[in-house]
Amino acid sequence: MSEARVESSQRPASGAALLVLVGLGIAFALLVALLAAAKTHSGPIYGEANMLYTALVLYAGAATLYMGYGVTGIERYVSTASALTALGFAANTAAVAHRWMVAGRPPFSNMYEMLLSFVWTLALLTLIAERAYKVKIIGSITMPITVVSVILMQLLNSEVRPLVPALQSTWLQVHVTLAMLSYAACAVSFALALMFLIQDNMKTESFQAITSGGMIAVYASILVTRFSSGALAVTAYDLEQKTEIMVSRGHPLFIRIPDLGWLYLLVLISALAPLLIYIAGVVRKDESLFELASKGMFVTMLLQVVGLAIFIARVKNGQYGSPEADSLYSTALPANPFLLSGMVGGIVAGLLYLLLLWRREGLQRMMPSADDLDRVTYKIICIAFPLLTLMIAAGAYWANQTWGSYWSWDPKETWAAITWLVYAGYLHMRITRGWKGRRAAWFAILGFGVVIFTFFGVTYLLPGLHAYAAG
Amino acid sequence: MGLKSIWTKVYQTLASVRTGIFLILVVGIFAAAGTIILQRPTTEPDAMARSYSPETLLWLDRLGLTDIYHSWWFLTLLCLFCVCLIFVSLDRWPNAWKVYSRPVRFAAPHFRLGLPQTAKFPVSDEAGALSVAERVLGRFGFQAERVTEAGATGLFAEKQRFSVLAVFIVHLSLLCIFAGYIVDGIVGYRGNIQIPEGQTLGQISVSDNRGGETKKALPFLLRCDGAGEETYADGSPKKWWSKLVVIEDGKEVVSKTIVVNDPLVYKGIHIYQSSMGQSSTPKALTFAATPAGGGDAVMVEVPLDGKAALPDGESLSVLRWVPDYYVQDNAVYQKSDDPTNPAVQLGLTNAGGETKKLWILYSQLNSTKGQDAPYEFAIKSAVWAKYTGLEVSHHPGQLGVWIGVVLMALGLVIAFYTHHVRIWAAIADDGKGGKLLWVGGTTNKNRDRFKTTFDQIKQALSEELSSGAAMKPNQKNEDKSLSQA
Repeated sequence: MSEARVESSQRPASGAALLVLVGLGIAFALLVALLAAAKTHSGPIYGEANMLYTALVLYAGAATLYMGYGVTGIERYVSTASALTALGFAANTAAVAHRWMVAGRPPFSNMYEMLLSFVWTLALLTLIAERAYKVKIIGSITMPITVVSVILMQLLNSEVRPLVPALQSTWLQVHVTLAMLSYAACAVSFALALMFLIQDNMKTESFQAITSGGMIAVYASILVTRFSSGALAVTAYDLEQKTEIMVSRGHPLFIRIPDLGWLYLLVLISALAPLLIYIAGVVRKDESLFELASKGMFVTMLLQVVGLAIFIARVKNGQYGSPEADSLYSTALPANPFLLSGMVGGIVAGLLYLLLLWRREGLQRMMPSADDLDRVTYKIICIAFPLLTLMIAAGAYWANQTWGSYWSWDPKETWAAITWLVYAGYLHMRITRGWKGRRAAWFAILGFGVVIFTFFGVTYLLPGLHAYAAG
Repeated sequence: MGLKSIWTKVYQTLASVRTGIFLILVVGIFAAAGTIILQRPTTEPDAMARSYSPETLLWLDRLGLTDIYHSWWFLTLLCLFCVCLIFVSLDRWPNAWKVYSRPVRFAAPHFRLGLPQTAKFPVSDEAGALSVAERVLGRFGFQAERVTEAGATGLFAEKQRFSVLAVFIVHLSLLCIFAGYIVDGIVGYRGNIQIPEGQTLGQISVSDNRGGETKKALPFLLRCDGAGEETYADGSPKKWWSKLVVIEDGKEVVSKTIVVNDPLVYKGIHIYQSSMGQSSTPKALTFAATPAGGGDAVMVEVPLDGKAALPDGESLSVLRWVPDYYVQDNAVYQKSDDPTNPAVQLGLTNAGGETKKLWILYSQLNSTKGQDAPYEFAIKSAVWAKYTGLEVSHHPGQLGVWIGVVLMALGLVIAFYTHHVRIWAAIADDGKGGKLLWVGGTTNKNRDRFKTTFDQIKQALSEELSSGAAMKPNQKNEDKSLSQA
């Protein structure tokens, strides 16, 4: 009897909280989009900035409809979403083409251009997965990623920068193109593996544990690299020149936003709590603890949104000091892509978990069968692996052309090799030892984890590990 | 345990995929550790000292963890991995080669039981049924051949047989890459050299694993006939170039203007443009020499490696050039290579061959005033030399690496995108005195796609066989020609 009451009082509460969170997320997206629109859009109407903005609006519409399909299961949302994605893709293509024309080289040379190409590839793969493989639900995972990426791009410096001599090589462009293609394929295999776990009836609370684990990883890495006596270290940024301020070559100047470190420690604890409660639930075989852990997820989600809002507010306004420098410096969002994408990633993961919590049965009805998902995951990895191989080879060839060394064990190279080894392991286990289903899905998820680390972690996390050890 | 059984055990262990995966895991973990623990050759010794306590550093060094990728145990792991790769391949080779070189052409009854896809159709006309099967398979792109064994006739068709060898190509390619890497590790070297314009040098600096540098003589000399850079409007570098001449046994053998990404290659040695700069040592310095007794100043240009005469027979030379100095315990030391705060020691030699040493500490006083000499000197200007920064590398093993890469691309494409599909057909008894057309098939991968194809073949066969009586004339003719052949 009492259990029933808990049930009934719980349901509407979680629904309302979800609405609030989704609302906050959308409000944030709109805010940043408006900021971007306020940026002066000079140049011709068919120019890159306008085309990209058009793509953003269309992608955002598509993402909302895909998410709507995820929540309500209404089929006709998909056809509209798909059409919007296709239109957005066209605008995106125009943006890429225009930039290529202006720069006189393919757009792969900095974070902004790589995101531009990544978004293009992701939209293309979404359309292919939907039309050719009939995986309609995939848009509700990939399109929000696209929207977040385009918003991130609005924050980055989009100037066409001339290339320093070392980057003027066709092989580099081949390398980066292959990297984007293979990483996008890995991302799709990851999404499919997650969907497999859902279809394979893995318990919702296990997903809660995974989501908590992901959030803990994000905030722990932020704190390990950026926490310094209660403050949060961010990269100083010259607003006029639109460049990071460097202490010496390769060492950006870190300034400290006071007290923000404590806030993120709080967020970390709030992300840790549901996981601990979940573990306690597993150990004591007490199902009611899972409910509590679920509530804990709402708390950590709210704290994360608050944390992100305060981060943006404090980064945009105010100047901060550093023990390494005498005067005060300002900072900006583009100077801190690692922090920003980590936080946004945490919130997006939380939203996806909430979607699962709320609409699991509906979602399962919409997804392809577990067998199909398992097989398509494998096939996508069969595409990703040769691309990964060629990507590493092209990178080695470029390094050899430029520095006379095709393999020098630098962290990025090493992690690319580790990624390759993980997927090689996956393929061997699957082909020779018949690993299928859940074990293979976990392997695919691990593989994408390594890809993410190679892409972001190596650039932002590893140097950070020693930046403070040295200080 | 005998030697032979130990060998068998070792072979079995190393020839298992499980061992291979285990080695991949271990290599991966240590490779990852190398990106987290600071590594010797790339990190400055004092940065190491700042990051780790002396005791930790001592142990990290002892365990080889500060230079993982060149430590003997990591290389041993890589070699073990290669051995495992070879044994795994050897273990599987005979079977694969049998499938490739001596394919099973006739499906004997016991063989039929093991096939994943089979179908049976009751038939009356044995030869006609086989012809129908031949035609249907042909329509699906399978060129069937007639096989007779033990008096029975059957059909055999296959596609992309080479697919079974793909995995060996991939493994071989990996071995090629490792072999190339090992060769380069043993005989290869890489270093850098900075050549000021107009000079000829033949020695490169190679950094060793301890953070130090050793000199290495090249088998030839390099002369830089000119170097320069182009910059973008914002001042960032756009292009660096140097005109290089290779001199061997006193003769100019090759000359080339190199830019970044376009090296000069001579006798397997690659010379790359890697940086460009102004030498921190000037070619010549100009001083204003004011007679101590009063009078007009005279300008004297002194080459850094020579001397210049002064009006009254004395000569001036530069004894020491310190681009960025500091003074400690009454001696001048060099702080950096950056020529922003120079100190110059001048030698003023009189007619009797006696040399007087004078200092100009530029940031304190640009003059030798008060140093008891017939002149007061002050630095007026300097002629700077450009130098070109070159990376020199000799990696003969890279040929193996690139062959390996091409092989691997080929192998992976074959492995993932080709499938060895085999289909057999035969006439069998149905056990009740009637005859059956038996069809069966298998593939080495992509089973679901093959199942779809096989189902389509089944469908077509059953249609053709049931309408066999109403065959069109031209098809009949085709039939005849086939059976005649």
